Amino acid sequence: MSQDVPVLQVSGLRKSFGAITVARDLDLEIRQGECVGVIGPNGAGKSSVFSLIAGVLAADGGRVILDGTDVTRLPAHRRVHHGIGRAFQIPQPFAGLTVYENVLSAACSGAGLRGSAASDWACEVLERTGLARRADTLAGALMLLDRKNLEVAKAVATRAKLLMLDEIGAGLTEREVAFLIERIAALKQDHAIIWIEHIAHALKAVADRIVVLNFGEKVADGPFDAVMSSAVVREIYMGLKEEAGHAA
Amino acid sequence: MILRILTLLLAALVIGCAPLLLDDGQLSLGMEMLVTFVICAMWNVLAGYGGLVSLGHQAWFGIGGYAVFIASNALNVNPLWLLPLAALVPALIALVLTPLLFRLKDAYFAIGSWVLAEVFYILVQRSDALGGITGMPLFTGGMLGASIYAQVFWVAGGLALAVLVLSYLVLRSGFGLGLMSVRDNEVAAASIGVNVRRNRRLVYAVSAAGVGLAGAVYLIPNYFIQPGIAFSADWTVIMTFVVVIGGIGTLEGPILGTLIYFAIRQGVTDGLGLSGSWYLVALGALAVATMLMAPKGLWPILRDRLHLDWLSVRRPWPGRPDRAPHHQAPAE
Repeated sequence: MSQDVPVLQVSGLRKSFGAITVARDLDLEIRQGECVGVIGPNGAGKSSVFSLIAGVLAADGGRVILDGTDVTRLPAHRRVHHGIGRAFQIPQPFAGLTVYENVLSAACSGAGLRGSAASDWACEVLERTGLARRADTLAGALMLLDRKNLEVAKAVATRAKLLMLDEIGAGLTEREVAFLIERIAALKQDHAIIWIEHIAHALKAVADRIVVLNFGEKVADGPFDAVMSSAVVREIYMGLKEEAGHAA
Repeated sequence: MILRILTLLLAALVIGCAPLLLDDGQLSLGMEMLVTFVICAMWNVLAGYGGLVSLGHQAWFGIGGYAVFIASNALNVNPLWLLPLAALVPALIALVLTPLLFRLKDAYFAIGSWVLAEVFYILVQRSDALGGITGMPLFTGGMLGASIYAQVFWVAGGLALAVLVLSYLVLRSGFGLGLMSVRDNEVAAASIGVNVRRNRRLVYAVSAAGVGLAGAVYLIPNYFIQPGIAFSADWTVIMTFVVVIGGIGTLEGPILGTLIYFAIRQGVTDGLGLSGSWYLVALGALAVATMLMAPKGLWPILRDRLHLDWLSVRRPWPGRPDRAPHHQAPAE
């Protein structure tokens, strides 16, 4: 893979549901080895942008190019084969299958592996994501942290070039977040990562860049400190804080 | 694995030898049991592993039967040789109809499939060429000779074993894992690269083909086909009840359910002397009791009590070979 070709290149992405715009001429670029944090107020369109990139939602316009291949017209499962792996905000385990089978399914259908190649890879992913001790547990019976880990494990098992992580830190304790940071830092070696997260210190620790979305528009893009101190981010978040103050 | 192969060989031996020991009446009942197992197993693959609850599977039973009756009469060929048609015709019709049918989800799919089955029933009933409501005879029935019950029993037995073995192999494959992933969560399945639509179309067509074959095998020894019987909603009632009682989403469930169904039917009809559909009332009562007290069916209870793992398609984690796979109830 050439260093010059970005793993993900999104240009002019547009999507609206009636009056609600979830993506407005969005441009985004992620390179190999890069971790990009995405922040923005609730309803800013962050998860919808993930769905547009993953192909679960059809875009009104624009292009999604994955590792040099235009995947704009491909359905979600084909985009997986081109290297997109997604961890959902609300964990979506295959509840009737064990943790091992969840990951094995991703290794078969996503990475296209069979037989012992598939099971070896699934075992390796389980070790890497710290889920080996839960391998034979039904996924529906997992606790929240393990459910979140399983989301990442499934995405990794598809041999994704790009990992899209959606608020996988939400609801975790500080200790658990510290584990998560370590794990994602390790994943950066093999994957380009785009990570939606509200936990600022986690992003500061791992993300190379921060993108700020507001009403489907990219309003800032740059290093963590620069973005956090920018006027536009202060305005968006101050506004939220004031509202929260009124509500309380 | 050795246990599985041994039980399979034993079953094959029993089915192979049975016609030498049983009279025609017993063979006919045996054939009916095998056919019932096949349709229930095919419904279970679709509902229990594919997550598609069809309430119109009697359509494929009737279409399979009519396909063989029509072709055999027209070509003047032994109907058993034309059995491939009983699989092909339903599968093709199913493939053509899925783009329409799959627009409906869950309960809507269930009702839609039922409506579809009624459409086929009415079409056949209104068709003069097919004998309309009175049905039509199988003119080539004589070609089967006196050993017809033995022949049909063997075919039904072969079909039952094939369904069991193929279900096991398919469900153990990556495709089967993808199928169960789709059952548990469609969006998440697409997000790990499963082609949800193709996966479901395929399993629906295979399920239709199996039920079609069973329908033809069941109807051939009658030498007569009638829309009221071939397209009877009772077939689907039996499929759902047997699978719910036996254990949905397990390969052993339909076997256990079929045995229970025939025990109830023979017990109520012959044992208690209650005629007509009283056995269906008993079956329904048992199904309701099962749903209330053991929602996963009876096999999972037996399995956990007796520590049986006969035809489980679970893949134990190979990482730590000393650890046996265990079954845990998912958090409700």
